[in-house]
Amino acid sequence: MSTAKRRRRELRNAALMVGPFVLILLIFFLYPTYKVIALSFTDAPLIGEGEWIGLANYAKLLNDKLFYTSIWNNFYFVLLTVIPTTVIALLIALAVSKLKGRMQALILTLFFLPYVLPVSVVTLIWAWMLDFQFGILQPLIEAVTGKSVPVFKNPHWVMPMIAVVTIWWTNGFNVLLMIAGLRNIPTDLYEAAALDGATAWQRFWRVTWPLLWPVTALVLTLQLILQLKLFDQVYLLSKGGPFNSSYVVLMQMYREAFQLNNGGYASAIAMVLFLIIVIVSVLQFQLLRIGGRRK
Amino acid sequence: MSDTGVQLKDVKKSFSVVDVIRGVDMEIKRGQFAVFVGPSGCGKSTLLRMIAGLEDTSAGKILIGDRDVTDVDPADRGVAMVFQSYALYPHLSVFENMAFSLRLAKRPKAEVKEKVHEAAQVLQLTEQLDKKPAQLSGGQRQRVAIGRAIVRAPEVFLFDEPLSNLDAELRVQMRLELARLHLKLGATMIYVTHDQVEAMTLADVIFVLQGGYVQQSGAPLDLYEDPSNRFVAGFIGSPSMNFFNATVVARADGRLTARLDGQPDQSFDIAMTTALEPGTPVTLGIRPEHLVVSEGEGMRVTVDVAEELGGVSYQHGTLEGGEAVIFQQIGARHGMHGTVQTILPQTDRIFVFSREGDRIR
Ligand SMILES: Nc1ncnc2c1ncn2[C@@H]1O[C@H](COP(=O)(O)OP(=O)(O)OP(=O)(O)O)[C@@H](O)[C@H]1O
Ligand SMILES: [Mg+2]
Repeated sequence: MSTAKRRRRELRNAALMVGPFVLILLIFFLYPTYKVIALSFTDAPLIGEGEWIGLANYAKLLNDKLFYTSIWNNFYFVLLTVIPTTVIALLIALAVSKLKGRMQALILTLFFLPYVLPVSVVTLIWAWMLDFQFGILQPLIEAVTGKSVPVFKNPHWVMPMIAVVTIWWTNGFNVLLMIAGLRNIPTDLYEAAALDGATAWQRFWRVTWPLLWPVTALVLTLQLILQLKLFDQVYLLSKGGPFNSSYVVLMQMYREAFQLNNGGYASAIAMVLFLIIVIVSVLQFQLLRIGGRRK
Repeated sequence: MSDTGVQLKDVKKSFSVVDVIRGVDMEIKRGQFAVFVGPSGCGKSTLLRMIAGLEDTSAGKILIGDRDVTDVDPADRGVAMVFQSYALYPHLSVFENMAFSLRLAKRPKAEVKEKVHEAAQVLQLTEQLDKKPAQLSGGQRQRVAIGRAIVRAPEVFLFDEPLSNLDAELRVQMRLELARLHLKLGATMIYVTHDQVEAMTLADVIFVLQGGYVQQSGAPLDLYEDPSNRFVAGFIGSPSMNFFNATVVARADGRLTARLDGQPDQSFDIAMTTALEPGTPVTLGIRPEHLVVSEGEGMRVTVDVAEELGGVSYQHGTLEGGEAVIFQQIGARHGMHGTVQTILPQTDRIFVFSREGDRIR
């Protein structure tokens, strides 16, 4: 068989194999993406065509007070979750990795359990636990602050509490990643360090931390992206209130699209959030890489 | 100051229910190069790690110099260990790897630099100091691992099969460098290996471990020439010693005659101080290099495989009774494959063992 013929056959086989995936990607991913971009330059309602209005949606967004509130809340939430969840996951992973065999598997399962729950169940559990009148956590809050607090109706409490719920819900996955990272560090490095005279603390700072850094950076980046997309917990726990104090960008987009029927404007909001996520996560990833190299 | 380097007194180790080290006594003099050998799984690494303090000691005492270090932290024992896997810190440069212990001890910068450069000089690593371990060859990594140990200036160096990941040529080279290093530093060194040649060439004293005990210890040639039991006889020397079942048929003043069970027309006259009753079953041990091809009477061996190394050849075959035999010949291309050869041992080089494996002299 000639080389040309064989090449043609290889190409055909390759096309046949990637074809279905490319098709699905085109229909369900690229086309909608294109549509969102296109919509954001029109005044279209949710369903149906609209007029081309250029950058008017984006201009409107720049003067939208609620949008700034939402963006601010998004970043506040990132601040409340990303680093705390990473630190907590690291501490849990360090503790769990000291356990042996079945005990380790059991404890790990316990920490991972919340992650498999659907968000509606998670929010329901926490809404009960934090219920103003009957919540079993209210005595705890009372002990600290002196009085019961309707946490999801209090502007100061609402975001931190949603952050707590979110961390409780998603932390197991981060623990899993961290455990995998810790297991990848050969034990003889610790033995060598022990012989070199390293204390437990020095072993952590000089061996574990730098060698775990790639995983830590990964967890931080994944968390950043995930938490910027915050919607479900807010929607289910506080509906963005009170006084919009827990309003976030995706909530605003949801409201514009599905409650106010402003398809074009909602698309513009989505585009801006998309750009923010891309920029922030690329920036963070680069920063983390530089940080990693200096170690 | 006494001249004790490392001393173990009735040291034992068990992992939960498994007794790995059942009672080991040994004394290694200051500045000696000691080698642990033994079959896989006999506890060589475990014993080394106990000396390092990486494994707890179940019973007994470990002394380094005059100090009892049985319950002392690894870092305070004055030992440095070179791991088989090198255990280099992958995120640190060669310099920082070697400087690690000094940094932990917060030594002044100038001292760190001086000590690391000195060690790098000895090991020819000066060019590599800025590289990361991943950018080094296997031999260079090995040298960094040794360098890390040298920088600490320990009383005792511990090596766990340090050369086993290197290719044959590099191994020979590193072996020589280790021997030179030992001469230069004069420190006590303990070295675990599988490799006969490493053990024989490097050691001042070899400890043969098996079944949780030291089977025999001594200078390499003493073990070769005068093994105290069948296990040591079979373990030291390559290829290993041939063993033949035999029966004592006669004894005379200071001599006995033993007949091969596998070839009853062949018997040997051996000098012995122990008087054995005729009829006693024994095992005769003869090294491949002490069997010579003869024209007349002898052990008839059917040769099936020849290993030709150029300078010497090892002929593998079987006796009529089915017992395996290896004998050595000088030179190559003897063309013995498939033939029956008659061989005779040098009678003053026959070792006699009881069937239980003890040496009878
Ligand atoms: N942490 C442990 N837990 C249980 N058993 C162990 C442990 N470490 C070693 N052993 C057992 O102790 C025995 C000796 O192990 P060790 O590693 O010392 O052997 P070795 O002589 O170094 O073998 P090799 O030559 O293959 O390296 C083995 O049977 C091994 O299974
Ligand atoms: Mg070993």
